Amino acid sequence: MLRTALAGLRAHRLRLLLTALAILLGVGFIAGTFVLNDTVQAAFSQRVTADADKVDVAVLPRDAHAVLPARLLDRIRALDGVTDAQGLVRGPAPLLGRDGKTVGSLPTTALSVVRGPLDRTNVVSGTGPGTDDHAAVLDENTAKAQGFRIGDTITVLDHERGEHRFELVGLIDTGVDQMLAVTGALGFTPATTQRLTGAKGYREIDVAGDAPGLERAVAAAAGPGHVVKTGDELAADLARAAGVEARSFTLALLLFGIVAMMVAALVIYNTFNILVAQRTREMALLRCVGATRAQVFGSILLESAVVGALASALGLLAGYGLAALALTVLGVFDTPLPTDATASLTPATMAIGLAVGLLVTVGAAVLPARAATRVPPIAALRAQVEEPAFRTGLPRLIVSGLLLVAGLGTTAAGVLMFDPGQLSLVVVVAGGALTFLAVLILGPVLVKPLSAVVGRLPARLFGVPGRLAVENAARNPGRAATTTVALTIGVTLMTLISVVTASTRTTMTAQLDAQFPIDYLLAGQERDPVVPRAVAAELRRRPELSSVVQIREVRATVAGRRVDVGTYSGPITPAVASGSMTGFGPGQVALNESTARDLGARVGDSLSLQTAEAGRVALRVTALLDGSQSSLPPVTVAEGPFDRYFGAVPDTMVMVNAKDGVPPEQARKLVDAAAANYPVVQVTSSTEVRGEFDETLDMVLMIVTGLLGLAILISLLGIANTLSLSVHERTRESALLRALGLTRRQLRGMLSIEALVLGLIGALVGVVLGGVFGWAAMMAMLADAAYSLPVPQVVLFVLLSGLAGVLAAVLPARRAARASIVDSLATG
Amino acid sequence: MTLTDNRHQAPPAVVATDLTKVYGQGDAVVHALRGVNVAFATGAFTAIMGPSGSGKSTLMHCLAGLDAATSGTVHVGDVELTALDDRRLTRLRRERIGFVFQSFNLLPTLTAEQNIRLPLEIASRQADQPLFDRVIDTVGLRNRLSHRPAELSGGQQQRVAVARALISKPQVIFADEPTGNLDSRSGAEILSFLRTSVRELGQTIVMVTHDPVAASYADRVVFLRDGELVTELATPTPQSVLDTLVKLEA
Repeated sequence: MLRTALAGLRAHRLRLLLTALAILLGVGFIAGTFVLNDTVQAAFSQRVTADADKVDVAVLPRDAHAVLPARLLDRIRALDGVTDAQGLVRGPAPLLGRDGKTVGSLPTTALSVVRGPLDRTNVVSGTGPGTDDHAAVLDENTAKAQGFRIGDTITVLDHERGEHRFELVGLIDTGVDQMLAVTGALGFTPATTQRLTGAKGYREIDVAGDAPGLERAVAAAAGPGHVVKTGDELAADLARAAGVEARSFTLALLLFGIVAMMVAALVIYNTFNILVAQRTREMALLRCVGATRAQVFGSILLESAVVGALASALGLLAGYGLAALALTVLGVFDTPLPTDATASLTPATMAIGLAVGLLVTVGAAVLPARAATRVPPIAALRAQVEEPAFRTGLPRLIVSGLLLVAGLGTTAAGVLMFDPGQLSLVVVVAGGALTFLAVLILGPVLVKPLSAVVGRLPARLFGVPGRLAVENAARNPGRAATTTVALTIGVTLMTLISVVTASTRTTMTAQLDAQFPIDYLLAGQERDPVVPRAVAAELRRRPELSSVVQIREVRATVAGRRVDVGTYSGPITPAVASGSMTGFGPGQVALNESTARDLGARVGDSLSLQTAEAGRVALRVTALLDGSQSSLPPVTVAEGPFDRYFGAVPDTMVMVNAKDGVPPEQARKLVDAAAANYPVVQVTSSTEVRGEFDETLDMVLMIVTGLLGLAILISLLGIANTLSLSVHERTRESALLRALGLTRRQLRGMLSIEALVLGLIGALVGVVLGGVFGWAAMMAMLADAAYSLPVPQVVLFVLLSGLAGVLAAVLPARRAARASIVDSLATG
Repeated sequence: MTLTDNRHQAPPAVVATDLTKVYGQGDAVVHALRGVNVAFATGAFTAIMGPSGSGKSTLMHCLAGLDAATSGTVHVGDVELTALDDRRLTRLRRERIGFVFQSFNLLPTLTAEQNIRLPLEIASRQADQPLFDRVIDTVGLRNRLSHRPAELSGGQQQRVAVARALISKPQVIFADEPTGNLDSRSGAEILSFLRTSVRELGQTIVMVTHDPVAASYADRVVFLRDGELVTELATPTPQSVLDTLVKLEA
């Protein structure tokens, strides 16, 4: 039996090749993901270990925002066996760029660079600050982005926004610290760092020493309020923190890998089904000469196992290559990942890759193998293989009907009964899975009517070949359904993603228009009140501007809770949800709806506000504001009372609109001029915000589409496979048509149209499912989401799927057209 | 040796001149046809006979433009088949030649009527409705037109194939063992239809067969042996055909 199975493999080499390619791609993707993750994680821990080797014991505050007092450092230094102990200072210290404005949307982080064996700074060029309080080092990426070089003078703001100048003496690599990668990093002497950041203590104390029991001694000195770790523990924790992002990235990639494997499973299932159908007589002959059902079953499974194992092994190699490629690409794009590491193929990855490939292949071949055992020995004597007749069958209709009702019901429940959020989304996803299962079971029933609809145009345009092609497409509904469902998966997900991104765009644009109906926004990096009132006053004098609105906010206690309390000044119409803002004045307060919910306050209630300068005041709630439509502070009081309560606080933000007809460059220039003298005041234009937002969405869409492209590619292999097997089955039919006067071109065209119809059916079902569930997902994720169906994109998907189907048909069609009529008539 | 038929005045429907067909190369070379010269009269029913491997199927394939000859020429009417490229050959088959094969004559997806009309539709030609009705009634398929091949008996399927060949009024119909898969009663029916169509519609038919009874329905039988035309019989009977075959095999 083994020999028979292997002979079967050899005989159907070409047909199994496409199947193997499907497995190879799926396994390659999954293995590649693991290789990438392993490599990145290994590189992270390698780097961290090198750093943390210098530290024998580290003391950290239990609360991440707390600091360690200076006297603790003194106590530790005094311990026996401690050769060195250093406190690390870390805090925000905004760097000013060449334009005199703070750099980036978050303040740069200042680090203390200690001297001696505990120095963990990685200086890549130049030197460290040493003992020079006027020297600074800067991370490479920020230096490159801002155009700073060693020897330049840089300006840094202290915590009171005073400007300090330093000579740039070196460039550092921030290593695996993901936060520093975002904010950028500056290094100074410990004293300077302390002065700039105003830190009241240390974020970490590193201890070097080799006395036994050092950790316990330090822990005893530190007391129960602190965390004491060994160097190894510190390294492990740092590596884990650094790898979190890489891990969630891996998880997301694996999801795409799973989708790809699902599609591959369908392709394999279909291929083996067809192979078994074609070899009915072979199976019957085996049974005639004495093979048992179990042996027939076993030989098919063995065949699938060999294909699965070979393809998975190749898939592992492909995965390794993919990961290496991905590392190179990521390296080019300056991602905060250690991309210079060499990719590593671990035994675990190999085991997982092989197991997944083998299980999916053999699993997908089980049903076809079972079908093979049902072939009666007498079938060997039948002259012709019968066309499998497909009957819709009541059980199929009932089961799929129930699943469809359950799926759509669950989805509707997810959308309607839950508040938008994770839970709602999970319920919608479950509903989606059920619905998809229903479509999968219903598929063979749908194929015939769908091909009639889709094929109407080709049948009319291409005459006899067109009509025959449409007939052929739906000839074996089970096979056609499995072939197209493989494509449907990919198209569904692509449509879903484009619906979600388009809807997000529409929703966000609508919200931006409502919340941010302004041309320019002036604000500090951290939304602190840092915009001097003089800026707004200056802007108000400009005739080119139509409106200038100031928003002021401070943190204060209202009814026992810390919230942002603020006011506004200028022409703005608050979006009142209930109550009224008319005659808004002293003793009154307006609340954001969600803040009101948190505070349990309603219109007419009285709230107490702890002010900075007027003690405790009682305020009456006169209005609730619609949060999604308002840029007012969560707790808004009138301008005059606010100044009395909190003094002359600067503005948190100033929103500016230009008059119609004023050129944007001119408006921008004068807004910039008003803010020029204040380094912390950054000017953002709404076009920039929208542009960044659009870019992010486009990027997400592009990446996800690219990753789903793999699933699509695999499903195209499936179409090519099904078609070439159908061509093989219909060799005599094609020859007959050729004898009756069908030209080679018409025969090729016929097969292309068949593929086109299959592709279009798959895409149409996918577009409908994706459109519906894209809507459901939007509703489940966001309140007041706007639905937007990107029609051109969706039409493009459908057309591309059809085109891809035609492409998949090129080789099978060519083979069919080339076949000699005489030989083909003689076969069978 | 040149064989001619003087009973008909019209020019022959199909003429083969010095037709050879060689398969394979070197030691494995097989001469399927060795310079065959033969003409098939218009409006006649001719049978090609010969022992297995005599080249009778190859001759038919070359005559019908299904296979390319190694050398020599084939004329169907005034067109030289052997000079045509695949596209023109296909068009010629479509317009001038009808086929009835031993088995697998019909497309399983189409009904009997659709199968019958298929060659006309491929050629984008209108069916001659009186002819269609006459053919359908002659072969007795009136109440089977909407059935698919799977729902028809072997004899009925072959009758559909004959109807399909007749409906486009081809210059010549080639029938390759049309009764090979049928019981004797169905076979006799098919052969009668073929003969009737020659007598009443003036159809030209060339039939390959190894059955002396089938051959006896023809007006003339030509005999092949080892790729060469060896003899022929006019107005054959089953016995005279059998005798000739026995002589050839000896």
